[in-house]
Amino acid sequence: MTKLKVGFYGITGCAGCQLSVIFQEDDLLDLLELVEIRAWPFIKDVNDDETFDYVFMEGLVATNEDKERLLKIRKNTKILIALGACAHTGCVPAYRHFTLQKNYAHLLYEKNKNISDVQPSPIDSFVQVDYVIPGCPPSKQEIRTFLKTVVLGNIPKSYDNPVCTECKLHNNGCLLEVKKPCLGPITRGGCNAICINGGLECWGCRGPTDDANLPVMVTILRKQGHGLKFIKDRLVTFAGTKMPAVRKLVYDKNNKA
Amino acid sequence: MGVYTLPRSQLHLFLAVLSKRSPVYVPVKRDAIRFEPYNGTIDFSDNAYFPIKEHFFRKRETILRFDGQKLITVRPTSSKKIFFGVRRCDLTALKHQDSIFQKQYKDPWYKAQRANTILIGYHCATPPNKYCFCDGMGLEEYQDLMFYEQKTQFLVEVTSVKGAALIKKYRRFFKKANKRITDADKHIKTRKLRKRDFNAIYDHHAWTAGVNKCLSCTACTAMCPTCYCYELHDELDTLKHGTRCRIWSSCQVKAFTRIAGNHVFREQREHRFKHRIYHQIQYFREQHGFDLCTGCGRCIAACPTRIDWVSIANKIT
Ligand code: SF4
Ligand code: SF4
Ligand code: SF4
Ligand code: SF4
Repeated sequence: MTKLKVGFYGITGCAGCQLSVIFQEDDLLDLLELVEIRAWPFIKDVNDDETFDYVFMEGLVATNEDKERLLKIRKNTKILIALGACAHTGCVPAYRHFTLQKNYAHLLYEKNKNISDVQPSPIDSFVQVDYVIPGCPPSKQEIRTFLKTVVLGNIPKSYDNPVCTECKLHNNGCLLEVKKPCLGPITRGGCNAICINGGLECWGCRGPTDDANLPVMVTILRKQGHGLKFIKDRLVTFAGTKMPAVRKLVYDKNNKA
Repeated sequence: MGVYTLPRSQLHLFLAVLSKRSPVYVPVKRDAIRFEPYNGTIDFSDNAYFPIKEHFFRKRETILRFDGQKLITVRPTSSKKIFFGVRRCDLTALKHQDSIFQKQYKDPWYKAQRANTILIGYHCATPPNKYCFCDGMGLEEYQDLMFYEQKTQFLVEVTSVKGAALIKKYRRFFKKANKRITDADKHIKTRKLRKRDFNAIYDHHAWTAGVNKCLSCTACTAMCPTCYCYELHDELDTLKHGTRCRIWSSCQVKAFTRIAGNHVFREQREHRFKHRIYHQIQYFREQHGFDLCTGCGRCIAACPTRIDWVSIANKIT
């Protein structure tokens, strides 16, 4: 059996998602044996970026270099996987879609004239993405399961139940009952409700479920006494770009939600 | 089979002594009321947020392990458990689950958890919250002992051979009462679900208000004492080791009906929302002759938007 040709790349991001791959502890060597790592600039000196079966792309597009690299990789791989929240939703950096309407690059990077700044956006704004491994950071288990599934020649399944499903499986009472602004009902699970298990409400890092009922979520948060500004901030912190309805909901002054 | 009394002041002592033999699960208030091994406190201020279902039809059950090429079947283990303070809606719900997991199918994992349990009921004097609608839902006796709370004492009705043996063993706590439990003792008044052929009102526009408020969050099915759906998952611990688990599932999400080719039978939220209600009060009856739902009201109490489907259904003329 020929091994799958795999690449791991990072564009603008914190490298945490690639670390989630590396931190497979006992399994890393076994994992790497199953595939042929053609390129992984983060940990390898010699990289060949010509032909891939699978490329895992971490990070979002924030510079022209990011964009060029992404377009090139897309051309050279059969399958492209958005690895982690930045690649998937744009995560925190894409917050700029909802705040600064002007570009302040000239102030921020006064001394470094080489920075070419673009509106920070998830990779699917530029190229077709075949699979998403969501999360900030993505779960190690999910990465492992994904790799093993494709090595076996199967189609990976994505988990699209809301966080609440796993939250109940972990025996938690509901944080909404104690007025914490939990986004669990509209957020895609698969994280094992790790935040809620630890007492923190869900901030939505895995992005919305495909039928997230945003108006009702906003109503719940408003009934808890939160203002529109707070609600907007919460909804857009991790996945604003994936909730086009947020704009209308939170910017429309006449919104009665 | 006899009625006894237990002074209220003796309840904690009785539970403490009973706990020495095996864990006694009682409703305890933490972030929410749940059944936990008795540890000095007990809470009857509301119905338990979590029903006792999870102790038998467990949230996550390991069916087998794989270790390299080897498959290892996991044998269910069983231990003795006593449940105290189970309300009738949950006792009836357990009877319904027994009929599925023990009669219709012989489920070894359920059976192992269910064996060796003693059920001590708690008869509500008044509805524990405004969502209950058990009146008319056909609640049944399914316990070994039933406790009726009174001002200074509990009336304790023996309802099974196991219950009689328990009283005999702890006889020093109980006094024989010269009384029969009557219909008046058993009567409690809650609101009612108007029963009818629900198929005839499936398309009624009144449901829309409920559908629109639904988040498809699955809280209702998880908290329901009768919901019995599950799915099987293979989970990897490492590349070579892993488990096949069975995990609670819910008809409220698309994954529930997703099949090969990514086809989903209940794509629209409306159909998922209605499916839960209809399975509980129509489809199950069509198949088994009785309603699955016991009227505990948890699916309304635990719903983030408190969708009161009973009121919706009752209003439809
Ligand atoms: S705490 Fe959050 S994730 Fe858990 S059930 Fe409540 S809303 Fe859902
Ligand atoms: S459907 Fe609702 S009321 Fe009926 S048993 Fe389930 S949780 Fe209770
Ligand atoms: S209501 Fe849904 S989850 Fe509950 S038993 Fe019926 S189909 Fe299963
Ligand atoms: S608990 Fe309420 S919002 Fe959640 S799926 Fe059930 S009916 Fe819908």
